[in-house]
Amino acid sequence: MKKVLSFVLNGHEVSAEIESHKMLLQVLREEFQLTGTKEGCGQGECGACTVLVDGIPVDSCIYPSFEVDGKSVTTIEGLLGEGNVLHPIQAAFVAHGGVQCGFCTPGMIMSSKALLDETPMPTVQEVRNALAGNLCRCTGYVQIVDSVLSAAEKIQAEIKQ
Amino acid sequence: MKRFEYYQPRTLDEAFERMGNLKGAGKYVAGGTDVIVRLKQRALKVDALVSLRGIAGLGDIAHNGALSLGGCALFRDIERNEVIARDFPALHQAVSMLANPQVRNVATIGGNLCNAAPSADCAPPLLVMDAVITLEGPRGKRDVPIESFFKGPGATLVEAPEILTGITIPAITPGTGSAFLKMGRVSQDIAKVNAAALVVMDGEVCLKCRLSAGAVAPVPLRLKACEKLVEGRRIDHDLLEEVALTASREVSPITDVRSTDDYRRHIAGVLAKRALGDALKFSTF
Repeated sequence: MKKVLSFVLNGHEVSAEIESHKMLLQVLREEFQLTGTKEGCGQGECGACTVLVDGIPVDSCIYPSFEVDGKSVTTIEGLLGEGNVLHPIQAAFVAHGGVQCGFCTPGMIMSSKALLDETPMPTVQEVRNALAGNLCRCTGYVQIVDSVLSAAEKIQAEIKQ
Repeated sequence: MKRFEYYQPRTLDEAFERMGNLKGAGKYVAGGTDVIVRLKQRALKVDALVSLRGIAGLGDIAHNGALSLGGCALFRDIERNEVIARDFPALHQAVSMLANPQVRNVATIGGNLCNAAPSADCAPPLLVMDAVITLEGPRGKRDVPIESFFKGPGATLVEAPEILTGITIPAITPGTGSAFLKMGRVSQDIAKVNAAALVVMDGEVCLKCRLSAGAVAPVPLRLKACEKLVEGRRIDHDLLEEVALTASREVSPITDVRSTDDYRRHIAGVLAKRALGDALKFSTF
Protein backbone atom coordinates (compact mmCIF):
# COMPACT_ATOMS: atom_id res chain seq x y z
CA MET A 1 0.00 0.00 0.00
CA LYS A 2 1.05 3.59 -0.68
CA LYS A 3 0.35 6.88 1.00
CA VAL A 4 1.26 10.51 0.34
CA LEU A 5 3.30 11.67 3.31
CA SER A 6 3.66 15.37 4.06
CA PHE A 7 6.26 16.49 6.54
CA VAL A 8 8.85 19.15 7.21
CA LEU A 9 12.30 18.07 6.07
CA ASN A 10 15.20 20.27 7.17
CA GLY A 11 12.88 23.24 7.43
CA HIS A 12 11.09 22.75 4.11
CA GLU A 13 7.61 21.32 3.63
CA VAL A 14 7.81 18.24 1.44
CA SER A 15 5.49 15.48 0.34
CA ALA A 16 6.01 12.21 -1.47
CA GLU A 17 4.11 9.03 -2.19
CA ILE A 18 5.76 6.27 -0.17
CA GLU A 19 5.22 2.51 0.14
CA SER A 20 4.15 1.21 3.55
CA HIS A 21 7.13 -1.09 4.13
CA LYS A 22 9.76 1.66 3.67
CA MET A 23 11.65 2.91 6.67
CA LEU A 24 12.42 6.61 7.12
CA LEU A 25 16.09 5.97 6.25
CA GLN A 26 15.18 4.67 2.78
CA VAL A 27 12.84 7.61 2.18
CA LEU A 28 15.57 10.10 3.09
CA ARG A 29 18.29 8.45 1.00
CA GLU A 30 16.30 7.19 -2.00
CA GLU A 31 13.36 9.60 -2.32
CA PHE A 32 15.10 12.80 -1.24
CA GLN A 33 18.72 11.90 -2.09
CA LEU A 34 19.86 12.95 1.39
CA THR A 35 22.68 10.44 1.64
CA GLY A 36 24.36 12.05 4.64
CA THR A 37 22.35 9.72 6.86
CA LYS A 38 24.08 6.30 6.84
CA GLU A 39 22.83 2.76 7.22
CA GLY A 40 25.09 0.79 9.56
CA CYS A 41 23.54 -2.25 11.19
CA GLY A 42 19.99 -1.64 9.97
CA GLN A 43 18.69 -2.94 13.31
CA GLY A 44 18.68 0.00 15.70
CA GLU A 45 21.96 -0.87 17.42
CA CYS A 46 24.67 1.35 15.91
CA GLY A 47 23.03 4.77 15.54
CA ALA A 48 24.66 5.64 12.17
CA CYS A 49 21.16 6.42 10.81
CA THR A 50 20.20 8.78 13.65
CA VAL A 51 18.00 11.71 12.61
CA LEU A 52 15.77 14.02 14.66
CA VAL A 53 12.00 13.61 14.50
CA ASP A 54 10.34 16.61 16.16
CA GLY A 55 13.74 17.30 17.73
CA ILE A 56 14.16 13.81 19.24
CA PRO A 57 16.88 11.41 18.01
CA VAL A 58 15.61 8.16 16.51
CA ASP A 59 17.14 5.33 14.49
CA SER A 60 15.70 6.05 11.03
CA CYS A 61 16.49 2.48 9.84
CA ILE A 62 13.68 1.09 12.04
CA TYR A 63 11.37 4.12 11.98
CA PRO A 64 8.32 3.32 9.79
CA SER A 65 8.01 6.06 7.18
CA PHE A 66 4.22 6.36 7.63
CA GLU A 67 4.81 7.63 11.19
CA VAL A 68 6.64 10.70 9.91
CA ASP A 69 3.48 12.19 8.32
CA GLY A 70 2.86 15.65 9.81
CA LYS A 71 6.12 15.68 11.75
CA SER A 72 9.40 17.53 11.36
CA VAL A 73 12.60 15.69 10.38
CA THR A 74 16.13 17.05 10.67
CA THR A 75 19.07 15.25 9.05
CA ILE A 76 22.77 16.09 9.06
CA GLU A 77 22.18 18.14 5.86
CA GLY A 78 19.81 20.35 7.86
CA LEU A 79 22.55 21.51 10.22
CA LEU A 80 24.59 23.32 7.59
CA GLY A 81 24.27 27.10 7.94
CA GLU A 82 23.93 29.74 5.22
CA GLY A 83 26.82 29.86 2.77
CA ASN A 84 27.73 26.24 3.62
CA VAL A 85 29.05 27.23 7.04
CA LEU A 86 29.43 24.19 9.30
CA HIS A 87 27.26 23.99 12.42
CA PRO A 88 29.39 24.52 15.57
CA ILE A 89 29.04 20.81 16.41
CA GLN A 90 30.30 19.82 12.95
CA ALA A 91 33.17 22.32 13.22
CA ALA A 92 34.11 20.97 16.66
CA PHE A 93 34.22 17.36 15.31
CA VAL A 94 36.65 18.53 12.61
CA ALA A 95 38.79 20.56 15.01
CA HIS A 96 39.08 17.85 17.70
CA GLY A 97 39.56 14.77 15.54
CA GLY A 98 36.06 13.48 16.27
CA VAL A 99 35.94 12.24 12.65
CA GLN A 100 38.11 9.38 11.45
CA CYS A 101 36.47 7.14 8.86
CA GLY A 102 33.37 9.34 9.16
CA PHE A 103 30.66 6.71 8.84
CA CYS A 104 29.30 7.18 12.37
CA THR A 105 29.72 10.96 12.28
CA PRO A 106 26.31 12.11 10.96
CA GLY A 107 24.57 10.01 13.62
CA MET A 108 26.98 11.14 16.34
CA ILE A 109 26.36 14.76 15.44
CA MET A 110 22.57 14.41 15.38
CA SER A 111 22.60 12.76 18.84
CA SER A 112 24.90 15.55 20.03
CA LYS A 113 22.55 18.19 18.60
CA ALA A 114 19.59 16.74 20.51
CA LEU A 115 21.67 16.61 23.70
CA LEU A 116 22.83 20.23 23.46
CA ASP A 117 19.29 21.42 22.65
CA GLU A 118 18.07 19.83 25.91
CA THR A 119 21.23 20.21 28.04
CA PRO A 120 23.32 23.15 26.76
CA MET A 121 26.30 22.51 29.10
CA PRO A 122 26.45 18.73 29.63
CA THR A 123 28.90 16.85 31.85
CA VAL A 124 31.21 14.20 30.38
CA GLN A 125 28.85 11.52 31.71
CA GLU A 126 25.83 13.20 30.13
CA VAL A 127 27.64 13.28 26.77
CA ARG A 128 28.55 9.61 27.10
CA ASN A 129 24.97 8.68 28.02
CA ALA A 130 23.54 10.68 25.11
CA LEU A 131 25.92 8.95 22.67
CA ALA A 132 25.45 5.44 24.10
CA GLY A 133 23.42 4.49 21.01
CA ASN A 134 26.08 5.63 18.54
CA LEU A 135 28.90 3.19 17.89
CA CYS A 136 32.31 4.24 16.53
CA ARG A 137 34.97 1.76 15.43
CA CYS A 138 37.77 4.32 14.99
CA THR A 139 38.12 7.04 17.58
CA GLY A 140 37.76 5.26 20.90
CA TYR A 141 35.18 7.98 21.66
CA VAL A 142 37.58 10.29 23.56
CA GLN A 143 37.86 12.81 20.73
CA ILE A 144 34.12 12.62 20.11
CA VAL A 145 33.32 13.50 23.72
CA ASP A 146 35.89 16.33 23.54
CA SER A 147 34.24 17.59 20.34
CA VAL A 148 30.78 17.75 21.92
CA LEU A 149 32.04 19.49 25.09
CA SER A 150 33.93 22.02 22.98
CA ALA A 151 30.87 22.61 20.76
CA ALA A 152 28.77 23.23 23.88
CA GLU A 153 31.18 25.95 25.03
CA LYS A 154 31.31 27.54 21.55
CA ILE A 155 27.52 27.63 21.26
CA GLN A 156 27.12 29.17 24.71
CA ALA A 157 29.85 31.75 23.98
CA GLU A 158 28.08 32.70 20.73
CA ILE A 159 24.75 33.09 22.54
CA LYS A 160 26.35 35.40 25.11
CA GLN A 161 27.88 37.69 22.45
CA MET B 1 13.02 -5.80 3.03
CA LYS B 2 9.83 -7.79 2.99
CA ARG B 3 6.78 -5.78 1.95
CA PHE B 4 4.05 -5.21 4.50
CA GLU B 5 0.96 -3.06 4.89
CA TYR B 6 1.03 -0.47 7.65
CA TYR B 7 -2.27 0.53 9.27
CA GLN B 8 -2.66 3.47 11.64
CA PRO B 9 -5.95 3.20 13.56
CA ARG B 10 -7.03 6.19 15.69
CA THR B 11 -9.12 4.24 18.23
CA LEU B 12 -8.94 0.89 20.03
CA ASP B 13 -12.11 -0.32 18.28
CA GLU B 14 -10.62 0.48 14.88
CA ALA B 15 -7.47 -1.43 15.88
CA PHE B 16 -9.44 -4.51 17.04
CA GLU B 17 -11.44 -4.51 13.84
CA ARG B 18 -8.36 -4.19 11.65
CA MET B 19 -6.53 -6.95 13.51
CA GLY B 20 -9.63 -9.17 13.30
CA ASN B 21 -9.88 -8.64 9.54
CA LEU B 22 -6.22 -9.61 9.09
CA LYS B 23 -7.04 -13.11 10.40
CA GLY B 24 -3.70 -13.86 12.03
CA ALA B 25 -1.57 -12.23 9.30
CA GLY B 26 -1.11 -9.00 11.27
CA LYS B 27 0.80 -7.84 14.31
CA TYR B 28 0.45 -4.79 16.53
CA VAL B 29 3.46 -2.50 16.62
CA ALA B 30 4.20 0.40 18.97
CA GLY B 31 7.78 1.73 18.92
CA GLY B 32 8.86 -1.05 16.55
CA THR B 33 12.28 -1.57 18.12
CA ASP B 34 11.52 -5.29 18.52
CA VAL B 35 8.83 -5.92 15.89
CA ILE B 36 10.48 -4.05 12.98
CA VAL B 37 13.88 -5.57 13.76
CA ARG B 38 12.39 -9.08 13.80
CA LEU B 39 10.62 -8.37 10.51
CA LYS B 40 13.91 -7.22 8.98
CA GLN B 41 15.66 -10.33 10.31
CA ARG B 42 12.79 -12.42 8.87
CA ALA B 43 12.24 -13.89 12.31
CA LEU B 44 8.70 -12.54 12.15
CA LYS B 45 6.55 -13.16 9.08
CA VAL B 46 3.39 -11.08 8.82
CA ASP B 47 1.63 -9.27 5.97
CA ALA B 48 0.61 -6.21 7.94
CA LEU B 49 1.49 -4.12 10.97
CA VAL B 50 -1.17 -2.28 12.96
CA SER B 51 0.40 0.72 14.64
CA LEU B 52 -0.77 1.74 18.11
CA ARG B 53 1.08 5.07 18.04
CA GLY B 54 -1.90 7.11 16.89
CA ILE B 55 -4.38 5.95 19.55
CA ALA B 56 -5.03 8.85 21.92
CA GLY B 57 -4.27 8.34 25.61
CA LEU B 58 -2.26 5.12 25.30
CA GLY B 59 0.98 6.98 26.01
CA ASP B 60 -0.21 8.74 29.17
CA ILE B 61 1.48 8.57 32.56
CA ALA B 62 -0.67 9.49 35.58
CA HIS B 63 0.01 9.45 39.31
CA ASN B 64 -2.52 9.70 42.11
CA GLY B 65 -0.67 7.60 44.68
CA ALA B 66 -0.94 4.61 42.37
CA LEU B 67 0.97 4.96 39.13
CA SER B 68 -0.84 4.42 35.83
CA LEU B 69 1.19 3.88 32.70
CA GLY B 70 -0.46 3.65 29.30
CA GLY B 71 0.60 0.61 27.31
CA CYS B 72 2.34 2.91 24.83
CA ALA B 73 4.06 5.06 27.48
CA LEU B 74 7.50 5.81 26.06
CA PHE B 75 10.62 4.83 27.97
CA ARG B 76 11.77 8.38 27.24
CA ASP B 77 8.84 9.79 29.23
CA ILE B 78 9.10 7.23 32.05
CA GLU B 79 12.83 7.98 32.38
CA ARG B 80 12.17 11.74 32.68
CA ASN B 81 9.22 11.45 35.12
CA GLU B 82 10.24 12.83 38.51
CA VAL B 83 7.58 10.99 40.54
CA ILE B 84 8.73 7.67 39.11
CA ALA B 85 12.38 8.50 39.86
CA ARG B 86 11.45 9.36 43.47
CA ASP B 87 8.83 6.74 44.38
CA PHE B 88 9.55 3.87 41.98
CA PRO B 89 13.35 3.96 41.64
CA ALA B 90 13.68 0.35 40.44
CA LEU B 91 11.50 1.16 37.42
CA HIS B 92 13.37 4.41 36.78
CA GLN B 93 16.72 2.62 36.90
CA ALA B 94 15.59 -0.21 34.62
CA VAL B 95 14.22 2.20 32.04
CA SER B 96 17.32 4.43 32.14
CA MET B 97 19.57 1.42 31.46
CA LEU B 98 17.44 -0.12 28.73
CA ALA B 99 19.10 -0.27 25.28
CA ASN B 100 20.12 3.24 24.15
CA PRO B 101 18.60 6.72 23.85
CA GLN B 102 17.33 6.30 20.28
CA VAL B 103 15.52 3.10 21.26
CA ARG B 104 14.11 4.62 24.48
CA ASN B 105 12.81 7.58 22.47
CA VAL B 106 10.35 5.36 20.58
CA ALA B 107 10.07 2.06 22.51
CA THR B 108 7.14 1.53 24.88
CA ILE B 109 6.69 -0.28 28.16
CA GLY B 110 3.77 -2.32 26.79
CA GLY B 111 5.88 -3.35 23.83
CA ASN B 112 8.68 -4.49 26.12
CA LEU B 113 6.23 -6.67 28.07
CA CYS B 114 4.41 -8.08 25.02
CA ASN B 115 7.73 -8.99 23.38
CA ALA B 116 8.12 -11.18 26.48
CA ALA B 117 11.87 -11.66 26.36
CA PRO B 118 12.98 -13.46 29.55
CA SER B 119 15.52 -10.61 29.83
CA ALA B 120 12.97 -7.74 29.49
CA ASP B 121 14.34 -5.02 31.76
CA CYS B 122 10.89 -3.72 32.75
CA ALA B 123 9.72 -7.06 34.07
CA PRO B 124 11.69 -7.41 37.33
CA PRO B 125 10.73 -3.92 38.64
CA LEU B 126 7.07 -4.45 37.74
CA LEU B 127 7.15 -7.91 39.39
CA VAL B 128 8.50 -6.55 42.68
CA MET B 129 5.96 -3.70 42.58
CA ASP B 130 3.01 -6.11 42.13
CA ALA B 131 1.93 -4.33 38.95
CA VAL B 132 -1.39 -5.12 37.31
CA ILE B 133 -1.69 -5.31 33.54
CA THR B 134 -4.84 -4.21 31.74
CA LEU B 135 -5.71 -5.96 28.50
CA GLU B 136 -8.52 -4.69 26.28
CA GLY B 137 -10.27 -6.49 23.48
CA PRO B 138 -13.50 -6.18 21.52
CA ARG B 139 -15.38 -7.98 24.31
CA GLY B 140 -14.06 -5.79 27.13
CA LYS B 141 -11.27 -5.32 29.63
CA ARG B 142 -9.47 -7.65 31.99
CA ASP B 143 -6.84 -7.06 34.63
CA VAL B 144 -4.08 -9.62 35.20
CA PRO B 145 -1.31 -9.57 37.79
CA ILE B 146 2.07 -9.33 36.10
CA GLU B 147 3.13 -12.54 37.83
CA SER B 148 0.79 -14.57 35.61
CA PHE B 149 1.32 -12.46 32.44
CA PHE B 150 4.37 -14.24 31.00
CA LYS B 151 3.91 -17.77 29.63
CA GLY B 152 7.35 -18.46 28.14
CA PRO B 153 9.93 -16.83 25.88
CA GLY B 154 7.89 -14.57 23.56
CA ALA B 155 4.59 -15.85 24.95
CA THR B 156 2.08 -13.99 27.13
CA LEU B 157 -1.55 -14.12 28.25
CA VAL B 158 -2.54 -11.63 25.52
CA GLU B 159 -5.06 -13.17 23.11
CA ALA B 160 -5.43 -11.53 19.68
CA PRO B 161 -6.88 -9.03 19.03
CA GLU B 162 -6.33 -7.84 22.61
CA ILE B 163 -4.09 -4.85 23.31
CA LEU B 164 -2.10 -4.16 26.46
CA THR B 165 -3.57 -0.75 27.28
CA GLY B 166 -2.26 -0.06 30.76
CA ILE B 167 -0.08 -0.96 33.70
CA THR B 168 -1.03 0.02 37.24
CA ILE B 169 1.45 0.05 40.10
CA PRO B 170 -0.05 0.29 43.61
CA ALA B 171 0.89 3.33 45.72
CA ILE B 172 3.98 2.88 47.88
CA THR B 173 3.64 2.75 51.65
CA PRO B 174 6.05 4.54 54.04
CA GLY B 175 9.34 2.66 54.41
CA THR B 176 9.36 1.40 50.82
CA GLY B 177 12.57 1.20 48.83
CA SER B 178 13.33 -0.45 45.52
CA ALA B 179 16.28 -0.97 43.18
CA PHE B 180 17.18 -2.56 39.84
CA LEU B 181 20.51 -3.97 38.66
CA LYS B 182 21.63 -5.39 35.36
CA MET B 183 24.67 -7.24 34.13
CA GLY B 184 25.48 -7.06 30.43
CA ARG B 185 28.60 -7.20 28.29
CA VAL B 186 28.40 -3.53 27.31
CA SER B 187 25.91 -0.93 28.48
CA GLN B 188 23.33 -1.21 25.68
CA ASP B 189 23.34 -5.01 25.54
CA ILE B 190 20.45 -7.26 26.42
CA ALA B 191 20.92 -8.32 30.06
CA LYS B 192 22.82 -11.52 30.84
CA VAL B 193 21.01 -11.29 34.15
CA ASN B 194 18.88 -8.53 35.68
CA ALA B 195 17.26 -8.27 39.10
CA ALA B 196 15.02 -6.00 41.12
CA ALA B 197 14.25 -5.76 44.82
CA LEU B 198 11.61 -3.98 46.86
CA VAL B 199 11.46 -3.77 50.64
CA VAL B 200 9.02 -2.21 53.06
CA MET B 201 10.88 -1.50 56.28
CA ASP B 202 9.60 -0.86 59.79
CA GLY B 203 12.69 0.47 61.46
CA GLU B 204 15.30 -2.25 61.03
CA VAL B 205 12.81 -5.03 60.35
CA CYS B 206 11.74 -5.90 56.83
CA LEU B 207 7.93 -6.15 56.72
CA LYS B 208 7.66 -7.02 53.04
CA CYS B 209 10.24 -8.20 50.54
CA ARG B 210 9.95 -8.74 46.82
CA LEU B 211 12.83 -10.02 44.70
CA SER B 212 12.86 -10.90 41.04
CA ALA B 213 15.34 -11.81 38.36
CA GLY B 214 15.29 -11.93 34.57
CA ALA B 215 17.15 -13.87 31.87
CA VAL B 216 17.54 -16.79 34.30
CA ALA B 217 14.44 -18.82 33.38
CA PRO B 218 11.89 -19.05 30.52
CA VAL B 219 10.00 -16.12 32.09
CA PRO B 220 11.05 -13.29 34.46
CA LEU B 221 10.92 -14.85 37.93
CA ARG B 222 9.81 -13.90 41.43
CA LEU B 223 12.42 -15.27 43.88
CA LYS B 224 9.92 -16.39 46.48
CA ALA B 225 12.25 -18.47 48.65
CA CYS B 226 14.47 -15.40 49.04
CA GLU B 227 11.50 -13.19 49.87
CA LYS B 228 10.40 -15.61 52.62
CA LEU B 229 13.90 -15.61 54.05
CA VAL B 230 13.98 -11.82 54.37
CA GLU B 231 10.48 -10.96 55.61
CA GLY B 232 10.28 -10.33 59.34
CA ARG B 233 14.05 -10.06 59.74
CA ARG B 234 16.81 -7.46 59.98
CA ILE B 235 18.73 -7.23 56.72
CA ASP B 236 22.38 -7.71 57.66
CA HIS B 237 25.48 -9.05 55.96
CA ASP B 238 24.78 -12.70 56.83
CA LEU B 239 21.21 -12.52 55.56
CA LEU B 240 22.37 -10.95 52.28
CA GLU B 241 24.82 -13.83 51.78
CA GLU B 242 22.01 -16.29 52.47
CA VAL B 243 19.86 -14.48 49.89
CA ALA B 244 22.63 -14.76 47.27
CA LEU B 245 22.93 -18.49 47.84
CA THR B 246 19.16 -19.04 47.80
CA ALA B 247 18.69 -16.94 44.65
CA SER B 248 21.36 -18.97 42.84
CA ARG B 249 19.42 -22.14 43.67
CA GLU B 250 16.05 -20.66 42.73
CA VAL B 251 16.92 -19.78 39.12
CA SER B 252 17.19 -22.14 36.13
CA PRO B 253 19.30 -20.32 33.53
CA ILE B 254 20.49 -21.57 30.14
CA THR B 255 23.74 -21.24 28.23
CA ASP B 256 23.46 -19.12 25.09
CA VAL B 257 25.49 -16.64 23.02
CA ARG B 258 25.49 -14.11 25.84
CA SER B 259 26.50 -16.20 28.83
CA THR B 260 26.68 -19.62 30.45
CA ASP B 261 24.21 -21.16 32.87
CA ASP B 262 26.85 -21.36 35.64
CA TYR B 263 27.78 -17.71 35.31
CA ARG B 264 24.15 -16.59 35.20
CA ARG B 265 23.38 -18.68 38.30
CA HIS B 266 26.23 -17.09 40.21
CA ILE B 267 25.45 -13.55 39.03
CA ALA B 268 21.74 -13.94 39.82
CA GLY B 269 22.77 -14.46 43.43
CA VAL B 270 25.12 -11.50 43.42
CA LEU B 271 22.57 -9.16 41.80
CA ALA B 272 19.75 -10.30 44.12
CA LYS B 273 21.95 -9.58 47.14
CA ARG B 274 23.09 -6.20 45.85
CA ALA B 275 19.62 -5.12 44.65
CA LEU B 276 18.26 -5.93 48.11
CA GLY B 277 21.02 -3.86 49.71
CA ASP B 278 20.32 -0.99 47.32
CA ALA B 279 16.56 -1.16 47.92
CA LEU B 280 17.27 -0.85 51.64
CA LYS B 281 19.25 2.35 50.99
CA PHE B 282 16.35 3.82 48.97
CA SER B 283 13.80 3.05 51.68
CA THR B 284 12.69 6.06 53.69
CA PHE B 285 11.23 5.58 57.13
